[in-house]
Formats: sequence, C-alpha cells, structure tokens
Amino acid sequence: MRNLVSSVVMGLSAFVLSAGLAFAEGKVDVSDARLRLLPGDVPAAGYFRLHNGTDEAIKLIGAHTGAYRKVMMHLSMEKDGMAEMHAVPEVDIAPGEDFEFAPSGYHLMFMKRSALLQYGDKVTVILKFADRKDVPVNFKVVSPAAM
Amino acid sequence: MLTRVVLPLLITIFLAGCSGENWRTTDISTIMPPLDFKLVNEDGRTVTEEDYEKDGKATLLFFGYTHCPDVCPTTLARLAKVTNALDKDLRDKLQVLFVSVDPARDTPEAMATYTSAFGPEFIGMTGDKAELDEITNRYRIAYSYDEPDKDGNYTVTHSSAVLAFDSQGKPAFMVLQSDPDVALKGDLTRLIEKGQG
Repeated sequence: MRNLVSSVVMGLSAFVLSAGLAFAEGKVDVSDARLRLLPGDVPAAGYFRLHNGTDEAIKLIGAHTGAYRKVMMHLSMEKDGMAEMHAVPEVDIAPGEDFEFAPSGYHLMFMKRSALLQYGDKVTVILKFADRKDVPVNFKVVSPAAM
Repeated sequence: MLTRVVLPLLITIFLAGCSGENWRTTDISTIMPPLDFKLVNEDGRTVTEEDYEKDGKATLLFFGYTHCPDVCPTTLARLAKVTNALDKDLRDKLQVLFVSVDPARDTPEAMATYTSAFGPEFIGMTGDKAELDEITNRYRIAYSYDEPDKDGNYTVTHSSAVLAFDSQGKPAFMVLQSDPDVALKGDLTRLIEKGQG
C-alpha cells in the first residue's frame, strides 16, 4: 500500500515536473498576420508579429504556403533617399523577444500566386525554423487600403 | 553615386531653407524644375504634363514599380490614407502620378489594374527608356535593376521620395518616408488651397 502511494506520488511529481518543463519551454506566438494582396499578377507582402515565448533563441529560416509558389524573406531599407530591398536568409529572435515583420522593413514576399484570393480570405503559411518544428499561421488577406 | 545626388540636394535645401512656404516636409520650390514629362498613361496614350494641369489639380509624383512588394504599396497606401482624410472638395483637386521605372513588366494595362487598388486619383504611367531617363534625370531620381533570379524575377532599387507640385505644375515640397502623416496632410491641404486661390 505504501508502495502504491509512493509510486502514485512519484508519478504525480513526474507529471507535475514534465508539465512544468513544458510550460517553461513556452511557445512561439504569431499575431496580427496579414497578407497584403494587390490586384494583378504582382507579388504580395506578408506581415506579422512573432513572440519568442521559449527560453532559447530561435531562428526563422523561411516560409511556404499552398497559395503561392515562392515565398522569400526580405528586408526593405531606405538609404540616402533610395528604397532598396534584399533577401534575408534567416532571422534570429532572442528568448522573450518580439520581432515584427512590418511595412517598410522585414516582410515575406509572396510570388507566383497559385490560388484565387479575395480580401478577407485566410491563407495558411508555414513558418520554418532551424532546429524546431514548423509553425502554421493563418494570414488574413487584406487590401493595401486596410493597412 | 548616392552621395553625389543627395549631398548637393541637402546642401541646396539647407541654403534654400529661409525662402518660400515653410512646408513641414522638405521645400523643393527652388531646387526642382516644374512638372514636365512625356510618358504613356494607363490608357496607353502618350501624354504630357499639360494633360494633367488643365483640371487645376495639384500633383504628387512618385516613382516605383508594381512588382515591388513592400515600399511602393506602402507609400501609395499611405498617400491614399492621407488623401482620403482630406475634405472631398480638396481631394478632388489632387492627382497622384505613379511612374513605373520598370516598363518591361509594367504595361499600361498592368498599371491600370494596379492603381485601381488605391483610388481614382492614382494614375499609372510609364515610358520607354529615353522617356524615363528624361524625367528621372530631371527630378534626380535614381533607379537600377538587380540581377534577375533563375525565374526571371528582379527587384528595382529606386528613389523613395514623393514630389509635390501645385496646380500650375510649380514644384512645392518633397515627402520622405520619415515625414509624419500629419505633416503631409497639412502641406497637402495648403498646397491645394493655394491652387484654388
């Protein structure tokens, strides 16, 4: 009987301990995800806020979606009055940090649309990280005027 | 290259600082030539500044390309937001000319489709290389194409300033990304009201 009690207690502590660990591990939260759609066959931009709720640095290495054939991470910069843009292979986000993909800065560039999209639609975009599992995110399709 | 263009511009702006209208954005009244161009509009028609001065509208001039995913739509959306916040009678006296420096991809039809997302006051234009070189040299607008990727996609680096002209095509002010919306709205209101005299 005592053995049973102690094994229940042990089991319970193990459960509490693992639950505690799972909580401490935290998660990667993405909010305010939107895809800015333009009419015609031109690229769209994706913006979102990412919160690294884990206790370790994470590395965003790309994204993909069924709605576009190609997705790239880009950074726009204004330098001496010139707008320029270049591809970004990866983005590091420190533990506890918020990182924003926002107009005139970091953005996802969606190219070669393969699905018909309308304002208000939801598009699932898979964010890919180094050394951790993918994070699927629903992006809301918005018009440029809505931003 | 950039220093060559921007530094003299900044020096001139500084020297010109005491004259003119005291715009909250940057005064260009003494450093830029009047509105002057020959381009192809979204209807595929060759047009000049005269076609766009006859209605007594103030003009915003912005250079970019439709395959620009971030900065161009962000700038145009910002202009749309600010102009939509103007009284309707003021808004009716304003036009935004969006000049594509990427005529290989931006046909008149593509420009018409694109500008429709922003509002009726947005008019797309482009031209052949000689026509674009003429207008970009005139307003010291630099642009360059990156190497195409394996799918033939390429990005275009371009000046991000928006130039404002009054209803007679005289240069007034220049808006940078860093200028707050309230400064742009104030200057636009004054520019249009001045034109209505």
